[in-house]
Amino acid sequence: MLISALTSSGSHATGGRGHRPATVGEGLTPAPLANFELHSPHVDSEVQVYSFQGVAGAANATPPSDSPVVAASQFTQPIADYRAYALAQLGRMETQLGRLQAALAGGERADAESAWRGAYADYLRLGAVYLDGQTALDARVAKLNLEIDGTSGGLPGGVSNARFTGLHRIEYGLWSGSSPQALTAYAGALATNVHELAAVLPRAEITPLEYATRAHEILEDAARDFLSGMDVPWSGEGVLATDAGLQATERLIATLAPVVGTTERVMPTVTEELGHLRSVFDGLQAAHGGLLPSNSELTSEQSEQLDGTLQGALEALSQVPGVLETEAPSTVPRIPAADFVVQAR
Amino acid sequence: MKPLDRRSFLARSGLFVGAAGIGAVGALARNGDGSSAAAQGDASGGSPAASPQQEWNVSQAELAESDPFDGPHQAGVLTPRPAQATFAALDSIAPGTGELEAALRALSVRARELTAGGPAPLLEAPPADSGTLGPVNAPDALTVTVAFGASLFDDRYGLTSRRPRELVQMPTFPIDDLDPAESHGDLLVQICAHQRDTVAHTLRELLRTVHGSLQLRWNIDGFSGAARGPTPKNNPRNLFAFRDGTANPPTNDSKLMDELVWAGPGEPAWAAGGTYQVVRIIRQHVEFWDRVALTEQQEMIGRVRSTGAPLGGTSEFEEPRYDLDPHGRRIPLDAHIRLANPRTARTADQRILRRGYNFTRGSDRSGELDQGLIFVAFNQSPERQFATIQKRLLEEPMIDYITPVGGGYFFAPPGTGGATGWIGNGLFAASS
Repeated sequence: MLISALTSSGSHATGGRGHRPATVGEGLTPAPLANFELHSPHVDSEVQVYSFQGVAGAANATPPSDSPVVAASQFTQPIADYRAYALAQLGRMETQLGRLQAALAGGERADAESAWRGAYADYLRLGAVYLDGQTALDARVAKLNLEIDGTSGGLPGGVSNARFTGLHRIEYGLWSGSSPQALTAYAGALATNVHELAAVLPRAEITPLEYATRAHEILEDAARDFLSGMDVPWSGEGVLATDAGLQATERLIATLAPVVGTTERVMPTVTEELGHLRSVFDGLQAAHGGLLPSNSELTSEQSEQLDGTLQGALEALSQVPGVLETEAPSTVPRIPAADFVVQAR
Repeated sequence: MKPLDRRSFLARSGLFVGAAGIGAVGALARNGDGSSAAAQGDASGGSPAASPQQEWNVSQAELAESDPFDGPHQAGVLTPRPAQATFAALDSIAPGTGELEAALRALSVRARELTAGGPAPLLEAPPADSGTLGPVNAPDALTVTVAFGASLFDDRYGLTSRRPRELVQMPTFPIDDLDPAESHGDLLVQICAHQRDTVAHTLRELLRTVHGSLQLRWNIDGFSGAARGPTPKNNPRNLFAFRDGTANPPTNDSKLMDELVWAGPGEPAWAAGGTYQVVRIIRQHVEFWDRVALTEQQEMIGRVRSTGAPLGGTSEFEEPRYDLDPHGRRIPLDAHIRLANPRTARTADQRILRRGYNFTRGSDRSGELDQGLIFVAFNQSPERQFATIQKRLLEEPMIDYITPVGGGYFFAPPGTGGATGWIGNGLFAASS
């Protein structure tokens, strides 16, 4: 599960007061301030010089909205559906953790690795959650997530830091030659934390803004952390992790589709791109004996296909939050004119 | 590895002594604001002048600009930032203090020659200069800034007791994913110039000078966004498309530089006139960033992307007036500029002098562009200044879009003090 912080303004990434990415040339007003000829023998044309006319003097830099707002009440059912889905995923994960604990205790490395893959994918199928850290419940969820899915990056001493626990501590141990039995304590603590998360997650608030933002951020984080290998340095299971992120996104989009509406131009593109990506994963699974390959098992052609298709899906998904705004963008107040101070340089 | 002996260093470097500054390029010292006497025309003193029919793809005036290597402070800290840079971290393999001292001395001698400019002598023996810049090494506003890492003060060279007070290995911050292969180092050499080939040539020449005693650990190339206006004072953009360096303290305020940049009380005597240099290689996840709505980008930064003005303003250099916006209605409380520099009396002594560069170096294993910022900060106290700011920035939403992957803490000692000095001589004089 991926956790992000919200801005204090209550918005984040493409959600909140955000809108669709502006069109190319945004903020620039073409103005023929000067014409000149290019010195190329092959080109003989006038060139427009772009200026900031019409922008430099505008205090309110909020771009115009291009979509009507959506009633917040329309998110009630999608969010309820997601909660049920998330709890079911945690239940599946607990089953996998039972397998993992048994395999570790029995010294069965191969079985333990298989169970770890299952548990890890189940966790990532939760998608993402956004916490503003303002409540005790938020803080508890954040701490649990860190203990379940935290990496060694950012910890002084890296893997030797005592706070390095959970899925990635077990990953490190399994794929770097530790005795399986030596990992049983980590697996036990992991199972306890997941059980507690299942108890508190239903009470965690999910706002429409957060829910809409997940539409593209789950896979954005997958592209950044998994296929790059950053978060799975030992197992290399970035493909599996990204597939789990795709499954979470597919589920999310399915719940949001009625809100976005069938007439909205965004949805057909999203559906098409997600379908392309799903077919890439299906193809990889078929080509690797029914299992998703690790990052290092991908051929260069398969890597290009996967990376490129994922980027295409992300471009489409990034349009979703903009059509799910629940409030019109506010105008940025002007800095009071009487208080203008221009710094001396 | 057989260390190069001291005589070899001096023999190679000595080839250029006397030639520097009197060669084919007439070097023009730059003023504090970056202007120079060459601004209106070509270099004098034998520099090939452009005829009306001839066009250069490089500014001859820029090539002729020179920043003096010698002085109370090292160049490359307060001096204007040219467009190109390389940062090279070195580890010492010198077997003893004498060899290390000789290597540092040779580094300064060669750097002095290169920054002054002059002819690259032609020799039948393997030439003492690679010649990649042609027969003349133009100064090109070249600066070479040498800094020491904490590991230089371990027990190898008897320098432990002379370590600058706050020089430690750069800590790992919670958002970091540091790669040991591009973190830390015994020395850091910062090379800056207008032209890329000048920087590349200088790195090669300096490494050649110290081969056998100082070994390259990691290096990274940087570039500045072009000055695209609308006025010459507007700052160029980083790879998130926002102007960078707007709130830098003015470098011509010597009192302020004494308070914020140069080593303060409590430091060893040899360190006076030096400064702590923090380098952070920060990957910017530009594909992700480009898929974020403009409003969100601006709220994360706290500025208007097009103009660089604080939200609610029209000018890049307009005060954001947080005092009139206590609840963040205009500029969110967790906006980058607000956390980095709250502009309060209490945080005034936390300001840093930034001198960063953009980098782009191919792609990662998933095909995403490996681009980002070589964050460079000069400050008097990393703990009081850089680290305090960094801890505040852990609260900013922009952390989702960046990953610090390398860099280090270094201490740039004072300048040579004169043409016979060398960078670090004070440290070794103190230890002898």
